[in-house]
Amino acid sequence: MNNKTIKFEIATPERQVLKEEIIQVSLPTKQGEITILPGHIPLVAILDTGVIGITKKDGYHDILSLSGGFVEVLKRKVVILADIAERAEEIDVEKARDAKERAKEGIKDIRQSDKERFAEINAKIAKELTRTKAVKRWQNINR
Amino acid sequence: MPNTKDIQRRIKSINSTKKITKAMEMVAATKMRRAIEAVFKTRTYANLSWETVLNLSESLSENGESFHPLLSKKNGVNKTAMIVITSNRGLCGGFNSSIIKKAHESIQLHEAKQNRGVDIIAVGKKAIDMYKYYGYHIEANFPKADVAYKVSDISPVAKIVLDEFLNKKYDKTVVAYTDFINGSKQIPRVKQLLPVDLFGEDEYFGIMGQDSRVGIDKDFIEEKRDKHGVSSGERGKYEFEPSPQEVLDEMIPRLIEVQLFQALLESNASEHSARMASMHQATDAAKDMVEELTLYYNKARQATITSEISEISAGANALQEE
Repeated sequence: MNNKTIKFEIATPERQVLKEEIIQVSLPTKQGEITILPGHIPLVAILDTGVIGITKKDGYHDILSLSGGFVEVLKRKVVILADIAERAEEIDVEKARDAKERAKEGIKDIRQSDKERFAEINAKIAKELTRTKAVKRWQNINR
Repeated sequence: MPNTKDIQRRIKSINSTKKITKAMEMVAATKMRRAIEAVFKTRTYANLSWETVLNLSESLSENGESFHPLLSKKNGVNKTAMIVITSNRGLCGGFNSSIIKKAHESIQLHEAKQNRGVDIIAVGKKAIDMYKYYGYHIEANFPKADVAYKVSDISPVAKIVLDEFLNKKYDKTVVAYTDFINGSKQIPRVKQLLPVDLFGEDEYFGIMGQDSRVGIDKDFIEEKRDKHGVSSGERGKYEFEPSPQEVLDEMIPRLIEVQLFQALLESNASEHSARMASMHQATDAAKDMVEELTLYYNKARQATITSEISEISAGANALQEE
């Protein structure tokens, strides 16, 4: 067995999304995307909204959409404590697109009046966009 | 010989009590199912995040400087806040008394010896008993949601705890909750929240939902860490992105909140299972009692009939003899 693997775990307050042995993982941190290979130095980072790409032990790729959270990287283990995370294969594309459209509609009305609400909806659009993106990438690699 | 009417009345009243306890059992069973579901959903997250925080706290304290006030041990304030999570209502067996007893014991063991003052932050109505029985000062009393769903259910408590800790009112915060092991086993536990400290008392570590046979102490955490491949030489070498201050500012309050939330969920699941069990017992006891009383009733009834018959036949005999 190839011993260059990482124990990868991703959990949200709702559930444990994935627990796998993997070879590498790419994450969107607040400062940009990073890729973690086995033997990475210990790292703690705040995560942004974006797409996580992982390569599993058997060479398969998996894509997850993520919005917000933290990552703790140890030498042979990566733990993601996500606010929201979904595996691409679980995401309903139609629903994601609809949700994004609805959010965009909503933003027109309140752009001026309410800053907080504006930010909230912007975050929602970003989230739905990420979900769509995750699915697209998922479809690309599995074609 | 008791009056048959009295016995009948008692049977009736016990039967209606049985109906009530049966109904309460079923209500508790439904709530328990929901509470257990909630507990299992978030347990992974809570435990993972707690490990992360403990790892961080240790690596930072070995650096000699503590980056964050929530991680640093303070000396001289000598006051502890204890959050005690109980139920709002009784009728749940030993649930409340065992958590209150545990909290009291823990205070006696760790705080009273060092002459530390203790303020109680009560979650749930029954935690007021901490004052009634032992005379501890109740600093705040929060209502408890019977079935909690969102982290926001507990965030006022988390806020008060974090604020007071940062204001240096307390130099230690612990939470007393009931850990849900399974439907018939719940263990009261006390866990240290602040400061996040890997070198605290063994008893204060809490990975939730572990059986009591699995000792949760420094060895357990050490073992976990070894499994994850962080050898001792590498500790204290975390990189932070964007900066330690920013990461910790965002991370630790949130994770403390999650810990409290998990403690609440564990307590809720425990409460409802305890109530279900005790109501089940009550129903069974009522059933036994009704059976026993029915026996008495029949005996009394037969005795009356027998004595009536003997009276009649004695009367008839007397007439014949004349």
